Amino acid sequence: MADTRFDTTVSTTCGYCGVGCNLEAHTRAGRIVSISPGMGPANRGHTCLKGRFAHQFTRARDRLTAPLVRESGTFRIATWEEALDRVASELLRIKAQYGPDAIAGLASSRATNEECYAMQRVFRAAIGTHNIDNCSRVCHSPTSFALRKSLGLSGCTGSFDDIERAEVLLIVGANPTEAHPVAGARMKQAALRGLQLITADPRRIELADYGVLHLPVHPGTNAAFLNGLAHVLIRDGFVDEAFVAERTTGFETVAELVAAYTPDEVERITGVPAADLERAARLYGEADRASIAWGLGVTEQRYGSECVQLICNLALMTGKIGRPGCALLPLRGQNNVQGSSDVGALPDTFSQYRSVADEETARMYEELWGVSMKRERGLKMQEMFDAALDGRVKAMWICGYDIAQSDPDIEHVTAALSSLEFLVVQEIFENETSKFANVILPAASFLEKTGTFTNAERRIQLVRAAVAPPGAAKTDLEIFQLVSERLGHPLPYAGPEDVMAEIAATTPHFAGVTYERLEGRGLQWPVAPDGTDSPILYEERFEQPDGLGRFAALPYKAPGDEASEEYPLILVTGRRLEHYNVGTMTRRTGNLELLSKDWLEIHPEDARELGVETGDLVRVRSKHGEIAVEARVTERIDPGHVFTAFHFPEVRTNLLVGPSADVNTSCPEYKVIAVSVEKVGAPVEERVAAGVA
Amino acid sequence: MQVVVDGIEVEVAPGTTVLEAAKLVDRWVPTLCFDERMVPFGACRVCLVAVEGAPGPLPACTTTCRDGMRIATTDERSRRIASNVVELVLSELPGPPAEHTELAEVARRLGVGAPRWTGATHPVRHDERHPYLVLRHELCISCGRCVRACDEIQGAFALTATGRGFHSNVTAGLDAGFLQSTCVSCGACADTCPTDAISERLLVALEEAGGASDG
Repeated sequence: MADTRFDTTVSTTCGYCGVGCNLEAHTRAGRIVSISPGMGPANRGHTCLKGRFAHQFTRARDRLTAPLVRESGTFRIATWEEALDRVASELLRIKAQYGPDAIAGLASSRATNEECYAMQRVFRAAIGTHNIDNCSRVCHSPTSFALRKSLGLSGCTGSFDDIERAEVLLIVGANPTEAHPVAGARMKQAALRGLQLITADPRRIELADYGVLHLPVHPGTNAAFLNGLAHVLIRDGFVDEAFVAERTTGFETVAELVAAYTPDEVERITGVPAADLERAARLYGEADRASIAWGLGVTEQRYGSECVQLICNLALMTGKIGRPGCALLPLRGQNNVQGSSDVGALPDTFSQYRSVADEETARMYEELWGVSMKRERGLKMQEMFDAALDGRVKAMWICGYDIAQSDPDIEHVTAALSSLEFLVVQEIFENETSKFANVILPAASFLEKTGTFTNAERRIQLVRAAVAPPGAAKTDLEIFQLVSERLGHPLPYAGPEDVMAEIAATTPHFAGVTYERLEGRGLQWPVAPDGTDSPILYEERFEQPDGLGRFAALPYKAPGDEASEEYPLILVTGRRLEHYNVGTMTRRTGNLELLSKDWLEIHPEDARELGVETGDLVRVRSKHGEIAVEARVTERIDPGHVFTAFHFPEVRTNLLVGPSADVNTSCPEYKVIAVSVEKVGAPVEERVAAGVA
Repeated sequence: MQVVVDGIEVEVAPGTTVLEAAKLVDRWVPTLCFDERMVPFGACRVCLVAVEGAPGPLPACTTTCRDGMRIATTDERSRRIASNVVELVLSELPGPPAEHTELAEVARRLGVGAPRWTGATHPVRHDERHPYLVLRHELCISCGRCVRACDEIQGAFALTATGRGFHSNVTAGLDAGFLQSTCVSCGACADTCPTDAISERLLVALEEAGGASDG
C-alpha cells in the first residue's frame, strides 16, 4: 500500500561514502522528510546515520541558491546570465591571452559520472587542455595506479558479497565501521558468524574486537609488513605453484626480495610481534577463500601505491584472486571516487584509463567532438597549484571540492588560489575555497539530480532526483552545458542519459550500460554490449597484454616523515562515524548533535608523560603548522601515536600536513605526520575565538 | 525438491522456509515479527499455515520445506488464531496503529477491526533524547524486531527487551537512552519497527501536525 505520509518516494544511491547504498528518499511538499534503506546489493536494506538521517543540509538556510560574483572585494547576487557570461568571457580571455593550458579544472568525486565526463569534455574540447583532475588524487589514486600495474584494471577485483563468502578477511589501514559503516556492519556480522578477521592498523579499531588477530603496524611501515607476510607465505609453503606458473610473472624477484623480511626483522620495523605476523600469514595462506580490504591507511603514504602492489603480490602468490570469496577490496572514500576517474576526469587518461597519448582513442574523440587535442598529459592537481604560483595557470574551475580545507599544505594551496586571475567555484555551500572565487555557481546536491555513481565494487548505480535544487541552483551537468555553449562548444545532451549514451558508445567497458539496465541492482563494469556485467574480475586472465598478473618486488622504504626529538609522536588522521570529510554536509544536520567536535586520541603512556588528561586542550605542532584540539586518553591508539579527524574547520587538522606524497600519484601523506603535543591551558573554544588555532 | 502451496506446485532449494515458498508463488502469509533481513524468530504466531499431516497450524517463518509438503496458507483455523493474536496485540495499545504501519496493514488484511477486549493499555512514555530517533514505549508490542535488527544487521547491541509479561518493553541502553547506549544511530530499529514505536522525530512531528490521512 502506498504510504500516504509521503508525496513521492524515489529510489536513489547514497552520495556519502563509496559503499553505494541504495536509498528510498521520501518527500512531502517538495522536501525530503525521511530516507529509508533500499534492498540494494551493497547495503541489503541497511544504511548508516549519514545516508539515512543527514539530509537536512539540502534545505539549510545557507545553501547557495543564486550565482554570486565578486565585485570590489565582496560577493553580490547575480543572474545566471551575468555569471555565466562572466565565466565564459574570462575563460576565453585567458585562453586567448595565455593559451588553453593556463586554465585548469578540478572535478568532484561527489558528482555523477555524467557530470565528471561532461566536465572533462568541456576542458578537453571546449577549452582545449588536459588540465583536469579530480579529488581521488588525494585518496585512492595510488590504488588505481597499483591495480592497473599489477592486474590491469582500476577497480575492486570482486564485490562486497565476497565479505560473506570469505573465510578470512585481512583489513589493512581502514576503519570500516566508522568510515564505511554499512560495509563495516557486513564485516562485523560476518565475523560474528565465523569469518576470521585480521586487522592491521595503528589504532585498535572497533573491528579488531571482533577479529582473531590485531596487528598494530606503525604508520608508514606497511611495505615491511606486507613483504613480511609474503616471506612467511613462501617460507611455509602457501604458494599456489600452478597459479603462479600459469597466470603470473615476476614471482622469483619477489621471492628473492622478501627473503630478507624475516618476522624478527619485520617486528623491528613495524612493531608487529613476529609470532603474530606468522599467524596472520598462516591464517591467510591456509584459507581456501580469503580477501583483503584496505583504505586510506595504505594509500595516503609516501609509498602508498607500492604497498597496494604488495597487497596484490599476496593474492597472486596464493592464487586468491578471480574467484568467489577472494577479493581485493579497496574501500573507496567518496561516493564516486571510482566513477570520476573511470569516466576520464584525469589529466592523463580518457575514460577507461586510456592514455591521452593513445592515438586511436584520441582520434576517436577528436572526430566525435570536432576538435584536435594534444597528446601530452595535463597537470595533476598539485602541479596545478605549482603552476598557478609560477604564473603558468591563470584560471581554475573547481567543482564540489573544498581544497582550501581538505588538501595538505594549505598555505601553498591558498597562495596558489590567491595568485589566480580568475577562479570559478561550483558548490552547494560557500566554503574555504570559495573565499578566493571570482564567481560562485550554486549547484545541486545528490538528492537533487539524476545520473549515476560507481561504488567501490565497480557497480554503476542510478541516482535520481528526489527534490528540486533550492532557489536558482542548477545541476553540475546543466552548468557545464551552459558554459560550454558560451565557449563555442555546445554539448549535445538533452539530459544525463544522453551523456551515459556517449560514455557507453566511446568506452568499451561501458558498452552495454543503459539506464534501463541499471534499474535495480546496477551493473559492475566491464559491461559487455549485451549487458552482462562482471562481479568478479580476472577469472581467466589478467588485463595485461600477455594476460599475466605482475608481481612487484618493492622494498620497504622509510616514510616521508618520522618521529624525532622535536616531533616525537606520529599523527594519523581519519574519519569518525558521524561526519563526512570536511563536514560541509554533516555539520549542517543533527549529526552535529551526535558529535560536535574533533579531538586528539592519545595513549595513556604518552598522556602521562606529557601530563595530559582527557578534556585538556593541547597544542599539536608539526613542521608545517600547529593546531589546538581537545585530548582524549584512550588505549585504542598505540603508544607513540596520536589520532584526530578532520571534520571541523575550527581545528583545521590539515594545517599539520606537509607536501610529502605518494611517489607515483602525488597522493598526500595524511597518515604519517611527526608532531609534538603539549598541554595548554584554556578550553578549546576560547582559543579558537581568539584566533590562536 | 517440490512443495505445493495452495495447490500451486513450486520447486524449492533445501532449507527454504514455508514462508519463502509461499512468497515464491505470490501467496500472502501474514507476519509481524518477521523481517527478511534477519534470521526468522517465530515469536508472534501470526504467520501460521496448515501443513498436510501436521497436528495443528505451523509458523511459516521457521518451518522448513520438506519434499512433497502440501501447504494451505488460508487455512481457517490458522487464520482464526492469527487474527486473535493480532487483536490481542491491538488491545494493549492506547489507540489504533497509524495507517501506514505494518501492524495496521496486517490487521486490515486479516479483517481485524477495533479489539473486542478492553483493559489495561500501555502507558504513554516517549524517549526523545536523540536528535533523530524517538522511542514511544506505548506502541511497543515486544516483537523483538528492533533488538534483532540492532544485533543482526548493524551489530551495535544497543537495544534490549526489559520487563516481564504485560510490562515487557524495549529500551535503548537499559533505558539510559540511545545517546548513552552503544547505538550508532543507523536507524535499523526504526526501519524494521512494525508499529512506529521506534520512529523518526521528523516523521512523528509530521504526524502530530495532522499528517495526511494517518490514523
